[in-house]
Amino acid sequence: MEILRYKSDAWGQRVLEGASWDLLWVFAAAALVFIVFHAVYTHRKLKQSRRDD
Amino acid sequence: MTDRQNNAAGRVERHKLTERVYHWSMAACMLVLLGTGFLPVMGVNFAWVDPHWIAGVILTVLVLIHAVRSLIWLKPSDIWIRWREYTASVNALTKEVLGGPREKKRIGKYSVGQKAFHHAVAVVVLVAIVTGLVMMIGIDGPFWERNPYLFSEATRGLIFVLHGFAGLISITMVMVHIYFAIRPEKLYMTRSMLRGWITREEYEQHHDPALWRE
Repeated sequence: MEILRYKSDAWGQRVLEGASWDLLWVFAAAALVFIVFHAVYTHRKLKQSRRDD
Repeated sequence: MTDRQNNAAGRVERHKLTERVYHWSMAACMLVLLGTGFLPVMGVNFAWVDPHWIAGVILTVLVLIHAVRSLIWLKPSDIWIRWREYTASVNALTKEVLGGPREKKRIGKYSVGQKAFHHAVAVVVLVAIVTGLVMMIGIDGPFWERNPYLFSEATRGLIFVLHGFAGLISITMVMVHIYFAIRPEKLYMTRSMLRGWITREEYEQHHDPALWRE
């Protein structure tokens, strides 16, 4: 997987084109991982504090 | 609804109509920008350039209005993270993660997490706006002609990289923002972004009057 995209300019030199679109899924997956982790963590903590009360 | 009417109804105003209109207009712009920016990448082909830059310009105007309003009419201290508040929050979180109980602490108008999220969004959106406005020089618009030679290929590449990463980070931020908005314990805040108020009970339960004076 690449982080950046490159292209060839008019002189055939390799130049930067932009961010790699492969990363689209990485950023979406990062959000999903965070959401699942937070949901599970919060659920367990709330259960624990209800038990302690 | 006036303050007196809110008091009579047992409600505390959290977001004025102007802030709510700003929030939902910004949300609409962000969704249009992400849709027009990333759907073509995912293989959904349509004429995305015009709606993309138009939504970008609208977002720029909204952010400018918000910045001026925040500095003049709103209280910037509501969104500023105080050092004491930050250390207290980090200490509480560290204790909790290490197995301690969840502290039921009352917050100001916004939690430290919400403030940090606001600042992160501000940085990312500003990068997207500045790079987006520069990129508009490269396309024909109703009031200007394109000039693809203003920047070198290397500079243009760097601008595209920054704009692309601002968009990618926005995907994560929007997803996380929506997740928190629909969490059961945050629903009262989401309602306040729709209707403007929270109940007095919610105010007393979740907020510290010393940190957020209604």
